[in-house]
Amino acid sequence: MSRLLTLSLLLAGCATLHVPLPPEAELHRAKTDDGWELGLVRYKAVGPPTGVPVLLCHGISANARNLDLDETHSLARWFAAHGREAWTMSMRAAGDSDGPDESKGRHPPSFDDYWQHDLPAAIGLVRQVSGASTIDYVGHSMGGMIIYAYLSQGGQGLNAVATLGSPTRLDWGSGTESLLKVAPALLSKSSMLPSRFGSWLTAPFQGAVDDGVFERLFYNHESTSTTSFQRLMAYGTSDTAGGVALQLIRLVETGRFASNDGALDFRAGLGRVTLPVLVVAARLDRIALTPAVRDGYEALGGPKEWLMISRANGARAEYGHMDLVIGERAPDEVWSRVLDFLNRHARKEP
Amino acid sequence: MIAAVVLSLATAQADVSVAHRRVLTDDGLSLGLLRYSPPGHDARPPVLIVTELGFGREVADPLARALVADGRLVYVAQVRGQGASDSGASLRSIVTFDFPAIARAIGGEVDLVAHGWLGTLALAASGHELPVRRVVALEAPARFEVPSAMAEDLLSQGSFVALGLTPHGGERFDALFVVGSQVRPEVLRAVKAGLRDVPAPMATEWLAWMRSGDLPLDGVGTVRSRLRSYDRDTLAVLGLGDGFAGPELCAPLRDDARAKVKLHTFSRFDVGDDFSHLTSLVGSNAPRLIFPELVEFLR
Repeated sequence: MSRLLTLSLLLAGCATLHVPLPPEAELHRAKTDDGWELGLVRYKAVGPPTGVPVLLCHGISANARNLDLDETHSLARWFAAHGREAWTMSMRAAGDSDGPDESKGRHPPSFDDYWQHDLPAAIGLVRQVSGASTIDYVGHSMGGMIIYAYLSQGGQGLNAVATLGSPTRLDWGSGTESLLKVAPALLSKSSMLPSRFGSWLTAPFQGAVDDGVFERLFYNHESTSTTSFQRLMAYGTSDTAGGVALQLIRLVETGRFASNDGALDFRAGLGRVTLPVLVVAARLDRIALTPAVRDGYEALGGPKEWLMISRANGARAEYGHMDLVIGERAPDEVWSRVLDFLNRHARKEP
Repeated sequence: MIAAVVLSLATAQADVSVAHRRVLTDDGLSLGLLRYSPPGHDARPPVLIVTELGFGREVADPLARALVADGRLVYVAQVRGQGASDSGASLRSIVTFDFPAIARAIGGEVDLVAHGWLGTLALAASGHELPVRRVVALEAPARFEVPSAMAEDLLSQGSFVALGLTPHGGERFDALFVVGSQVRPEVLRAVKAGLRDVPAPMATEWLAWMRSGDLPLDGVGTVRSRLRSYDRDTLAVLGLGDGFAGPELCAPLRDDARAKVKLHTFSRFDVGDDFSHLTSLVGSNAPRLIFPELVEFLR
């Protein structure tokens, strides 16, 4: 009986964390060239548009709600409120996008699927619906890595890009790397790790322990509220594809930012990128370490800008990986700097 | 092996004799050189510790004692404008005059612990003005740019002492040098009491080095060109919390130099401490988490 009560309370706790999308959110579907449907959400610009639409993309084990958590923690709605039509997307097997279905030929994805198939479909849909010939793009974590891969291979349709906490190298001699190196023995390309259920289940307990493992890894409690992180865990996460995890672990092992078969060297290709890119790092990001993020900045051809979010640069508290997109002061201390960059590189639509 | 080092460090801290020596440079300045002697003779090269400008001997003392506990003879350099040394007017003169004078005083090859921006000058001098065998680089940048607005402000004013005097200075001190770390209050007080202002011409030159991306040396290339040909086996220790020489500026040594450079990045997730510019030397967790690997590497 007590177990049933505990389970009921747990489920109730998880359910109360959920915040639905607002009425102004327009739901769209994009079809990839290999047959998957992706979920996108559009927020029209409030007032006269100040620039081209912005497509926002989440990182690994996350979904579109990561960048659109609630009314006051939404990069998407913030951009819209500042005159930019904003779109969020969920990559395949995340959020409202299609999941793997072997009967329909949809296998668990690899990192390469994201930049080869999902990005072109999402960028194409935003351009088609908005009528813009090029758009801007903001990627968090792996959302930045896939745009690096896309651009390095000559990807088109973009005007300017910002990446937030996006690494291009993962071999920095940290203790976590040793752990990751044993992970391939536990993973397979055809598996999906149930990170969404685990996050959802633990969501109500986030913040219950001071300096817990999630806080150490993902956020700084001086920058992100417990409620925001609970919401992120409750509905901003997704399952993790084994193939994606394996491809990223290969970065740890080899130091090479490359395609699954090793044939395409994304890092080398970044030197040929000529559209403006802003690279944002957080001082206490313990997932995308600052040298890992800097590595991408160094590799880019330019024009490019480097932005370190830290107390030494005026932030009121240090930022971790998730603070960049759900932090209490992120609108003032991060997003406004991103918008300023995009506006400085704006191209007026005819 | 590391566990054995931890044990030896813990049991042999007491027997340390510290001597203060004076070293005269070819351009006539008097420098301080501290000599930490172990009880017995050690055939290995002595260890030379070079720590960041603006800070006193207090920041090197815990590591010096840990190395002595491993049986090493240790010297702590005090270059011009630092600690008890004469004031100076030029960073490049540290390479041209101070390191050769220190090398003469020690006599022979050293193992080097190079900390911060001054540590980078010592890296550039390695194999040139300074005979060096192996190196531990602690928060020593290989990319030269202004690391933060606060660092720029600090060097524009040149006043490190002020960081220890006011609450506002204390906040800046914390953001630049102690982020994400644990350090005992009495240790922090001692470090702040040992702060010394960087002479204005040196602070200006330091800032120009950051802003321009390189520092010309007297007639023998630049710091950047020296690092490209740098070839000493190196352990580079990177603290994630460093706001004065962030790991993003230090890590490129691995790719730029000819040397075999092993990186070790510390973070709170991995080990319980992010470490920063000062706390890799004086932090509460440094003796347990950083010193043993460092001592082992220099063995």
